[in-house]
Amino acid sequence: MSTTPIMTVTDLHKTYGKAGSKQYEALKGINFNVNAGEFVGIMGASGSGKTTLLNMLATLDQPTSGEVTINQQPITHLKGNRLADFRAKEIGFIFQDFNLLETMTAYENIALPLTLQNTAAKKIKPAVEAVASHLGIAEFLNNYPNELSGGQKQRVAAARALINEPAMLFGDEPTGALDSKSARELLDLFTTINREQAVSILLVTHDPFSASYCQRILFIKDGKIGQELNRADLSRQDFYQQILDTLGTFEQ
Amino acid sequence: MLTKLAMTGFQKRWRDYLVLFSGLIMSSAIFYMFEALATNKAFLKQNTSISMVGMIFQFGSVLLTIITLVYIGYANSFLLSMRKRDYGLFMLVGARKGKIGQLIWLETLLVGITATIIGIALGSLLTMGLSQVLINSLGLTLHHLAAWYFPAALTTLLLYVGLFIIAGFFNLIALTKTPALKLLHSNDQPNRPKLKPVRQLVEVIIGLLSISIGYWSMANLDKLQLAGIGIALVTIVLGTYLLFNAIFVWLIVLLKRLPFANRGLNGFTLSQLSFRIRNYTKILAIVAMLFALALGAITVGMGFHRQVPLMANGTSAYDMGIVNTTSQQQAQIKALKPTTETTYHFKIGKKAVYYRASEFNAQPFATMSPVGKTQLKFKLKRLDAQKLTKSYERYQFGQLQGSAQQQLATTMVSEQQYQSLTQPEQRLTVFVTKDVVANQAALKKLAASQQKRDHALQGQVLGGRYSGYQMVNGMYSGLEFMGFFLGIAFLAMLASCLMFKILSGAAADQHRYVMLAKIGTRTSELNNALRKEIAVLFILPGIVGVVHVLFGLKMFSFIMIGSPYTGIWLPFLIFAGLYLIYYLITVQIYRRIVLQ
Ligand SMILES: Nc1ncnc2c1ncn2[C@@H]1O[C@H](COP(=O)(O)OP(=O)(O)O)[C@@H](O)[C@H]1O
Ligand SMILES: [Mg+2]
Repeated sequence: MSTTPIMTVTDLHKTYGKAGSKQYEALKGINFNVNAGEFVGIMGASGSGKTTLLNMLATLDQPTSGEVTINQQPITHLKGNRLADFRAKEIGFIFQDFNLLETMTAYENIALPLTLQNTAAKKIKPAVEAVASHLGIAEFLNNYPNELSGGQKQRVAAARALINEPAMLFGDEPTGALDSKSARELLDLFTTINREQAVSILLVTHDPFSASYCQRILFIKDGKIGQELNRADLSRQDFYQQILDTLGTFEQ
Repeated sequence: MLTKLAMTGFQKRWRDYLVLFSGLIMSSAIFYMFEALATNKAFLKQNTSISMVGMIFQFGSVLLTIITLVYIGYANSFLLSMRKRDYGLFMLVGARKGKIGQLIWLETLLVGITATIIGIALGSLLTMGLSQVLINSLGLTLHHLAAWYFPAALTTLLLYVGLFIIAGFFNLIALTKTPALKLLHSNDQPNRPKLKPVRQLVEVIIGLLSISIGYWSMANLDKLQLAGIGIALVTIVLGTYLLFNAIFVWLIVLLKRLPFANRGLNGFTLSQLSFRIRNYTKILAIVAMLFALALGAITVGMGFHRQVPLMANGTSAYDMGIVNTTSQQQAQIKALKPTTETTYHFKIGKKAVYYRASEFNAQPFATMSPVGKTQLKFKLKRLDAQKLTKSYERYQFGQLQGSAQQQLATTMVSEQQYQSLTQPEQRLTVFVTKDVVANQAALKKLAASQQKRDHALQGQVLGGRYSGYQMVNGMYSGLEFMGFFLGIAFLAMLASCLMFKILSGAAADQHRYVMLAKIGTRTSELNNALRKEIAVLFILPGIVGVVHVLFGLKMFSFIMIGSPYTGIWLPFLIFAGLYLIYYLITVQIYRRIVLQ
């Protein structure tokens, strides 16, 4: 496995609220790296700052101070078209509430990142079909989101995130709205994508079961990283047990 | 407690309420504006010589009422969708249905009545402002026009309050009969655009058929009379709706198959449009109708405006006649650079005014005489002494004289007879300028100076093209005013209908635009997408409206000189400008909502 970092995070701070009004410091100096091809989890209780952190890393919000690089490129000060292009080319997102466009079919949703870049129509169709069959949603391509189950919707969202072959895939509690079977399927899928396509994945979750699929877990508490767990050669079941034990001591 | 909850909901959604309020206020203001003319009998009687205008106003009233009905229906469903979640929440926390029903009913009525009262006030201000602008810029003379007209206010209030009471009951039933959970999760569902070839073909055929019937009856209004307008209104509205319904779906399904749909956000825009298709066909049909009415009214108003000098030119071949011009008047006439200036000499006897026939033979007097069935075209004739005495148009000469001479018979005499008369010789100077409208200020001064010398010379006793112009202008001012006034009122109604409909969907669109931005869409592309989407919604009814107007103008061919189509590019251009402004405003507001 390669050890060059695909993402570096240096002394990241985020304070909500304008100076003078009521302020809340959600992130208090976060440092870590993600290596290329790694599958990293971020865990923490509700309100610990997971979403805040992910939004900074995924360019959806700007930190108060600190620096983030993805693929050696500093991203915290990107604006306008360069920011849009960076999002379109370098990163993919999967959100808890799917974030699909309900006015478009699954096919159109998945193809959107390609049409946005004016990819030739000839290339779009095979690309969509390839990623869809990989994720097991080939037969639902003509359905609208409201005609799909939660698990299917999340796989469509994953297909949309992956079609551009991003350097990094971000997920904010992507299994949060799924039943346990669909959740397991989606997590298996992440593992496969991570192994076969060497996509780096950063998964935010409060659920130990989801976290047990990761290779490395960072625990966040009160805006700081408190602890780190490496799966190493443990089986998933053993890693799960280790996470539960860690949470038991960490959360107190 | 519950009232407090309702109030917090109100505060949270003030922006949505602002859209709702401004839409309703505009609608009631426009309805009032229209009624202020339509119900003002004295104004209509004074300002129109054509009895049909009154009838047209009544039809307009009915049409506007129907539109208002639909409009309030939209406003109400907007209000309902806004409050559904809140009320669902109240129910979940255990509020009694009866209490909630009361709240809904009260809220609907409160919103409606407040908006209507503000609307009426705004409407009377608008009436005042708009009529001042029109009167000044068109040089109109109007009588009995009142910006504040109580019967109009009453009609507006009664209609709106009545409609809101009904809407309130409707909301009460809709909300209290639905389970709380369903209210919480009632989201827009996309309707899959379906192609049903047989049904759509039938729709196209019936649509085209009924539009043809409408066009035919407008072209044959002289035979059908009033019934023609009624038939046209019903068939054209129905036909437009059916055509939109059938063609819109086809168009989008077709466009989606083209490579064009795979470029940038085009596919997204098409999906947005097809998502709304069913909601939009009704409003687009109405907007197309309003567009046609507005553009038609302005075009006809302009047609009448153009008509005035043409009609005035038919009243006489000379601008004015002046008896015994002073040297100052002589200079004034000279300054006008008349194309023809003739002086005839005469002597006044006891029973007649005596002119020298030889003078008329040397300088024939010109008259305008109507030709054709409609009597709306005129021919210039030059008449010598003998022809003039026999001509029916000799009154055109008589009117150019002074007030004393107009009482007496005009007699042409030979040179000998003329010399033998002992009375003092006097002069009548008649002249014509290039353009009576352009010279009207100078002509007015000249007429005033002559009226001072000849006190009995008032108004229509003063003959010639100049007083003809004043008469015709007075006659047509009312029609012109109504055309422009209604045109602008309909345009405002149309725009607020369309704007309201588009903006009421903006809140639901917001998360889609946020999502697009998150997956890396440039802001410029988002802007382009929303501009295109709204442009389609503006252009489609616009095209249909223009076609309706082009056919509808035929109705006016029998009360207008020449073709009602001459020079229509000007009103079309003005209208396009106003429409464009509305489009830009809508885009601006929509952008502010969805892109923050
Ligand atoms: N936009 C915001 N403005 C103010 N405070 C916020 C905002 N977003 C999040 N917070 C606060 O920051 C803290 C962390 O929130 P979040 O990152 O959403 O937590 P998590 O995703 O771990 O549940 C919470 O206390 C939350 O109230
Ligand atoms: Mg969160």
